[in-house]
Amino acid sequence: MSAAAPTAPATGTPGEPVVVGRDVWKIYGRGDTEVTALRAINITIPRGEMLAVMGPSGSGKTTFLNCFSGLDDVSRGQIQLEGVDIQSMDDRTKSEYRARRVGFVFQSYNLLPVLSAVENVEMPLLIAGVPGREARERARSMLRDLGLGDRFDHKPSELSGGQQQRVSLARALVGRPAIVWADEPTGNLDEEDSRQVTALLRQLNQTYRQTIVIVTHDPSVASACDRTVRMRDGQLVE
Amino acid sequence: MALGVVGLLVLLLLIVVVVAIVLALRHRLAFKIGIRNVARARGRTVLLVLGLLVATMIVSGSLVVGDTVNQVSVHYTVLAVGYNDEVIGNQSPSGAYVPFPYSVYTDVASGTAGNPDIAGMAPEIVGSISVFDRTSGVPQANLNLVGVNANQSTQLGDFVANNGSVVVGPAPGEVILDDLAASEMNASTGDELVLYGAGATPMASVVQAVVQDNIRGAFPTGGLGNFGSVFVDLATAQQLTNLSGAINFLSVTNVGDQANRLALAPAVSATLNATLMKIPAAAGLTVDQLLVNSLASASSSASSLTALFLVLGLFAIVAGALLIVGIFVLLAEERKGEMGVLRAIGLKGRELVYSFFFEGIVYAAGSALAGTALGVGVGYGLVYAFTALYHVSGLPGNAILDSFTVTNASLVEAYVIGFLLTLVTVVIASRRASRLNIVRAIRDIPEPPPTLRAYTFLAYLGGAVLVLGALLYATTYAGTIDDSYPILAGALIILGVALIASRFVRNRLAFSAAGVALLVWGGYLPLRLALLGTSHGISTFDVFVIGLVLVGGALLLFSFNASSIATALTRLAGGRSQQAPVALIALSYPARKTSRTVISLAIFALVIFVLVAIAAVGSTVTASLNNTLQEESGGYTFVAYSSTPIPNLPTLVASNATLAPYFDAVVPLGYAGMYVDVPGYAYNPYSDSVYVAPANASAEASFYDTNQYTFQSTLGGMSAAAVMAELRTTPNVAVVDNTYSSVPTNLAGTTTSHPKVNAGGSLTIINPANGNRTSVTVLGIMTQALVTGVFVSPPTAAALGSFPAEQFFLKVPSGASASRAAQLAKTAFFPYGFVILDIADLLASSIAPTEGIIGLLQVFVALGLVVGIAALGIVALRAVVERRREIGMLRANGFTQRMVLRAFFLEYTFVTLVGIGIGTALGLLVVWDRTQSPAAAASGTSVFAAPWLTLGLILLLAYGLAMLAVAQPSLRAARMPPAEAVRPTE
Repeated sequence: MSAAAPTAPATGTPGEPVVVGRDVWKIYGRGDTEVTALRAINITIPRGEMLAVMGPSGSGKTTFLNCFSGLDDVSRGQIQLEGVDIQSMDDRTKSEYRARRVGFVFQSYNLLPVLSAVENVEMPLLIAGVPGREARERARSMLRDLGLGDRFDHKPSELSGGQQQRVSLARALVGRPAIVWADEPTGNLDEEDSRQVTALLRQLNQTYRQTIVIVTHDPSVASACDRTVRMRDGQLVE
Repeated sequence: MALGVVGLLVLLLLIVVVVAIVLALRHRLAFKIGIRNVARARGRTVLLVLGLLVATMIVSGSLVVGDTVNQVSVHYTVLAVGYNDEVIGNQSPSGAYVPFPYSVYTDVASGTAGNPDIAGMAPEIVGSISVFDRTSGVPQANLNLVGVNANQSTQLGDFVANNGSVVVGPAPGEVILDDLAASEMNASTGDELVLYGAGATPMASVVQAVVQDNIRGAFPTGGLGNFGSVFVDLATAQQLTNLSGAINFLSVTNVGDQANRLALAPAVSATLNATLMKIPAAAGLTVDQLLVNSLASASSSASSLTALFLVLGLFAIVAGALLIVGIFVLLAEERKGEMGVLRAIGLKGRELVYSFFFEGIVYAAGSALAGTALGVGVGYGLVYAFTALYHVSGLPGNAILDSFTVTNASLVEAYVIGFLLTLVTVVIASRRASRLNIVRAIRDIPEPPPTLRAYTFLAYLGGAVLVLGALLYATTYAGTIDDSYPILAGALIILGVALIASRFVRNRLAFSAAGVALLVWGGYLPLRLALLGTSHGISTFDVFVIGLVLVGGALLLFSFNASSIATALTRLAGGRSQQAPVALIALSYPARKTSRTVISLAIFALVIFVLVAIAAVGSTVTASLNNTLQEESGGYTFVAYSSTPIPNLPTLVASNATLAPYFDAVVPLGYAGMYVDVPGYAYNPYSDSVYVAPANASAEASFYDTNQYTFQSTLGGMSAAAVMAELRTTPNVAVVDNTYSSVPTNLAGTTTSHPKVNAGGSLTIINPANGNRTSVTVLGIMTQALVTGVFVSPPTAAALGSFPAEQFFLKVPSGASASRAAQLAKTAFFPYGFVILDIADLLASSIAPTEGIIGLLQVFVALGLVVGIAALGIVALRAVVERRREIGMLRANGFTQRMVLRAFFLEYTFVTLVGIGIGTALGLLVVWDRTQSPAAAASGTSVFAAPWLTLGLILLLAYGLAMLAVAQPSLRAARMPPAEAVRPTE
């Protein structure tokens, strides 16, 4: 498995802040049912960094990912992605931003079962407005890069867990996003697949200079990252 | 019979209940799971019951319509027949009653005196009469004449005036008019009348009273119109008909209520026959059980209409059954995980089926109850709509609505049929659902593709289907049996071959070929005619079978090529970048989750198919009217007849300066009622009208020169002109109307009791007046069936006897007013009892009830759309739940809310439009196919017309309602917060 040279690197200057969070709070429910998932989070993630977010179950890791990636709104505080306050974006602008600048990898892959591997991978490109023929070619190229050159037309149900996660990775990276958010990307994989996916993420991070934020329980994944932050009760403790 | 069906259904219901109780006691855990599944989500339970009740509603609605039609028929038959339980008389071939001595009445009365079953009898004169109302100035010919003495007719019931008061009469020298006769003459009580009987001196009289229609019996004596009845005392009637000392009708009334009178009819009839045998003057008289026969005929008509509604309702019922399957397949998928866990902890597969069975019983019981009740509402709606939109000739305006009836038997039938249909479908769907792999179910892993073993099983199944189809085909392909059987057989053979082929070739190839074959078999009439011949009968059930075959073929073709279709459509949409991902998502789901797509498509296609087919039949009948008019009219404007012969009508018209400009052809025909003996006919001799046109009339009065009649078939393929030339001069030849054809036209109908003959065949005509008989060769079978009977040549007529000039064809020049011409002729020749009928009006009124029934059927079948819409709504609701994480992923990757919404709408637009498209195309194809058949060509219904306006309405209604059904789930999907959607658990 080898990553081919990118046709263009992720834009921006290495080291500049790409994710900035200031006093970020996320509170669910009201009154007796109120739950504070994030408490006064302050964090800066520089461009090109591969960051691990660790913590016990219920510590707020996934909420952190959802809020900082723009999938969810925060209750208080400010989040800037590439210098833009995402709280000021409406749903449409946020969607367009995600389409062009953000990639996601999920624990359960979240591939569309009715689409083939190549169709799944080309989907973010099509959403971003890339013409169909170019999108198909780039999707194939990315799948080949991830060692799935013989699985273009396979449906997710015809792939192993590791292969599905690699398709998921290809989908996250094919648009050359500025930031990739990965939620427990190895959670459903065995040890070997887990090691391969982690190595792949690291290799892609170094090759494409993309910022990667990984929420994980797995110390071996964290050890492959540039930095690790830990969460407990909705707070960054490190 | 009805009681038998109800009893059987109740027995079945009881068996199911007992089985359910036994199973519940033996499988308590499954029972508990099933019942708790019902209770755990009340909203969903309501939704399920709504989805499941549609089939029951259709059954219930059909039966209620049948009940009402039956009630109308029985009610008005009883009113029309009155207390004439048995009638003694002798009807001549022309339909008139032959007179017999009054002494027969006194002899019968004395011979049956003391019989406890007979309440009384009334001697009568029944005939026709012309009346001129001197007060209103309006004449009316051809009214029914009923002569009966007031003191001899008490058992016939009272005359009732419109204000409800009882009228005693008719008083000597006065007349009682019924509503219809009074309205024709604008007559009211006290009007001075002149009565014109056949050949008698006109008599002056006064209207004693106007009474309600159909009371004490209306006695239409045949002919083309019924203008109402005139009641006079017997002596007056005898004077008017020159039948002094005679009667021609003896009415007998049995004792008791209607049921008792019906029950006594056979015994009384036997007594009367025995009594008549002893009376020499009664020779030739017969006893007709009028009440019994009329009720049987009414009941048969009502049953036919119920059957028509039920057969066309079958499409909606099948759609309802498919919806039930769809609902339970979705339910099973939803519970796959928990079912897997239950199996893992030791529950047997059979127990899972039982749990579904118990759950299904609750749904079936509830939905059948709700469906039966809603069906009653649907039936009332249909009856109300029919009453509001259409008037049935001979019935009061609100007659049908007032007769709205729901019998207990229909309610029980609808409930049990709906209950069992739901339950059986649920059990079949549950058996499939329960055969799950425990690990795959728990981990939500898709089922693997079928193994070779599965295909081998399918091949054996295909073999069995093939053999079954071949056996059915071999026993039904020839003969006169309804052709739906061999059509079904052909379809089974095709499916059998496809199932076997799927073992050896790719599924797509095997089943696509089968789809094409089914479409050709069901939709290409020349192939069926070549293989099955033309001797098969046609029934409404044909439409159902052909519909299933065609829709099945189209769905096979679609489902095995859906991916290619979706890919092609996606490429088309790919040009617009924003549309490309939306189209890819929207089309991928229906194309690749084919089982549920096919269920939705089948529901839509079946319902739309029958809706479009009914609409196309209606538009084709209307479009064919001009064609039919030309063929039925022979180019004439009016057909007229007189109660007194008019030997020189053409001269009378030509010499009348007012009349002459209104007519450019006045054609007299000699007419006589005679017997026709047809070789091979079981009920020889047949009573029919015989006509002859003079050979030497002037050009404008010559039938042979002026008629434009066409022929369905002629001897040796002669032209129409050649047939007419032969008919003018050659002895022993004739032409016959289309009711003699074995392939009758739409006007002729399928009267199996009518004798049939081919061109070149022979008939024997017997004149009952003088016993003369002569054989004729049939030169041709006319296309028309408006003027029914045998047209003989003048030499043939001369050999048979006299043919008074009582029938006429008249033609109005273009630009002249037909209604004015009719009015002038009616006034000028009133003394002859001249009745003139507009042929175009007659034809239009002949198709009016058909149009009414077509309209009602469309509304009724459109109820099936509810099934399709419910199916889409349920599938969409389920899709939102199932695709939650996928929607989340799409939103994470940049799909806006609007794109999600568009994807959902596009997906269901695709499914709806494909279903509507399949149904529309096939519905039009079936009707077009029929218009190309030899029978359609012969009947003048070969003018195919697509009902564009109705099609547009159907499309808008179906699509609009479907989109409304999916709107809420689609909005829910679009508004789903992405962070919530991507979460691994619900």
